[in-house]
Amino acid sequence: MKRYDLVIVGAGPAGLSAAIEAAKNGLNVVVYDENSKPGGQLFKQIHKFFGSKEHKAKIRGFKIGEELLEEADKLGVEVVLNAIVLGLHPEKELTIKVEEEVIHVKGDTVIIATGAAENMVTFRGWTLPGVIGAGAAQTMMNLNKVRPGDKVLMLGTGNVGLVVSYQLLQAGCEVVALVDAAPRVGGYGVHAAKVARTGVPFYLSHTIIEAEGKDHVTGVVIGEVDANWNIIPGSEKHFDVDTICMAVGLSPMSQLLKSAGCKIVEDPKKGGVVPEIDELGQTSIPGVYAAGDVSGIEEASSAMIEGRIAGAAASEYLGYITKEELEEKIKVNESALDALRQGMFAPKNRGKLLEKTEEGVDISMNLLKKGYLLEEEVEKYPGVTKQKGVHPVIECTQNIPCNPCQDSCPKGCIMVGKNITSLPVVDTEKQCIGCGMCVASCSGQSIFLVDEEFEEGYASITMPYEFLPLPKVGDKGVALDRSGAKVCEAEVVDVRKAPVFDHTNLLTIKVPVEMSMKARFFKN
Amino acid sequence: MVKVNDRMRDIGEFIPAKDDDILICRCEEITKGEIRRAVHDGIFTMEEMRRYLRNGMGLCQGQTCGKLVKNIMAKELKISPLELEPETSRAPMRPIEMEIYAKDGGNV
Repeated sequence: MKRYDLVIVGAGPAGLSAAIEAAKNGLNVVVYDENSKPGGQLFKQIHKFFGSKEHKAKIRGFKIGEELLEEADKLGVEVVLNAIVLGLHPEKELTIKVEEEVIHVKGDTVIIATGAAENMVTFRGWTLPGVIGAGAAQTMMNLNKVRPGDKVLMLGTGNVGLVVSYQLLQAGCEVVALVDAAPRVGGYGVHAAKVARTGVPFYLSHTIIEAEGKDHVTGVVIGEVDANWNIIPGSEKHFDVDTICMAVGLSPMSQLLKSAGCKIVEDPKKGGVVPEIDELGQTSIPGVYAAGDVSGIEEASSAMIEGRIAGAAASEYLGYITKEELEEKIKVNESALDALRQGMFAPKNRGKLLEKTEEGVDISMNLLKKGYLLEEEVEKYPGVTKQKGVHPVIECTQNIPCNPCQDSCPKGCIMVGKNITSLPVVDTEKQCIGCGMCVASCSGQSIFLVDEEFEEGYASITMPYEFLPLPKVGDKGVALDRSGAKVCEAEVVDVRKAPVFDHTNLLTIKVPVEMSMKARFFKN
Repeated sequence: MVKVNDRMRDIGEFIPAKDDDILICRCEEITKGEIRRAVHDGIFTMEEMRRYLRNGMGLCQGQTCGKLVKNIMAKELKISPLELEPETSRAPMRPIEMEIYAKDGGNV
């Protein structure tokens, strides 16, 4: 039987990060993954990540995956794909299906980083072809380059539902509606806003009644729910669709740990059945650790940090690093993890309705109900100022852990400050040069450049634009407001692309000056 | 758990519902009505349900329907889903061809 210092199950962000950390400390590491490609969900993530520089903010998810793989490879980590771990047995022995046989390996330590699986909800017709998980839609689009359908309805307004809706739009699908039984949008407001301004309507307090179709989906009926989750008669709405996407949460895949006899708890806040772990990620079995979504649903950035902590803990367990070295590593990683777990969407705030930001500004209820900010709400935020000439308008209205905009401005116009969840403040004393670096750096696509003195009677608006084909200078079309409604004619006056923008193109349109705080999207 | 193990507990009559024909476990084709009726037949734990109806015993091993079955059972038993213990997990974690499973241990 082959023996390793550390056996890791799952080559996603947590597993790879754990492997890198342990291999750096000198451990002999193997990673098994049942998929044919490594990276877990990372390679489906084509959007820019939030966070700070240390969290790889504004880097797209798949790039982070590539970086992790490359690093693991350099350190000599063995990654075995198409390898299905069948069991975790006493004495840390694992049975794994590799090719056409079952092999046994033994790890002196084991890290389980198996991630999570998608939840489903049932309604009449939910088993029809065309009803898919949002993760499946991402796999089709971003890994296999297949468009899941032409007309899609998305159920779920958490970050997964919002991000995948945007990606469906990018892939050329029509997203007919975003539906959620909850009364408020669950994900980041900026993710909702970038979908809403393209014209996708949000139906909160609504759920799917029925998927229509004989042998595949041809339509869907939704209805409004009352406080007891019953459909309000007469509230039914029908849409012609060929695809229904479900983004209704994830459940940790903790079965391996459970079967091994680790102490297990069921915690709805963590997404379901999870192992009991200490601050190092260690389960009730010494030397067996859990990292990433398997120990509680979060996101890739925290999974990477949890992986690093578990990798360091395994190194210390086997004596490759000292207790002091481990403590040093934990200190660094925990402060990073702590930063990610702050703000409006922190685990401790889950399910709570916050009415004010940390700065004391009212949180937009329209954003939570319809996915976009009202014009009169926008002006209350510290990133929105009125200035002569070109200046940034930052429509970032929720305390989320993210600050790339601050570093992006060469003139120091934007301040987030020490607290990474603070709303960005625009300093009117500093002179904006209109370089657009902030626009491209904002992972939430919430920064615009506005110049009300562009031409006599006309203002220019520069917006982040990630759709193809890219409009050309001189193209005429319409400007849409934050809700996606047409507000005026618009003409493209500038299109900027640069490697440093990393595929977030800057589209500048010309609109009548009174539209400068209304127009936020362009359609040919 | 205490409540669940009380087999004498009266959970009322089985009342047919319009959505009883909806599939819950896709792999083994078990409907909502079958699960609800099984509870009234005296199946009060997830482990028993699995042995009784084979829900969660197919290709996905209950990854999709586990939570759904639990919620249906809890509602029928008039308890919180948290009171129902999840089904036992055991190797093999994924379905595997017997031909391959039989080759177990080649490198022990």
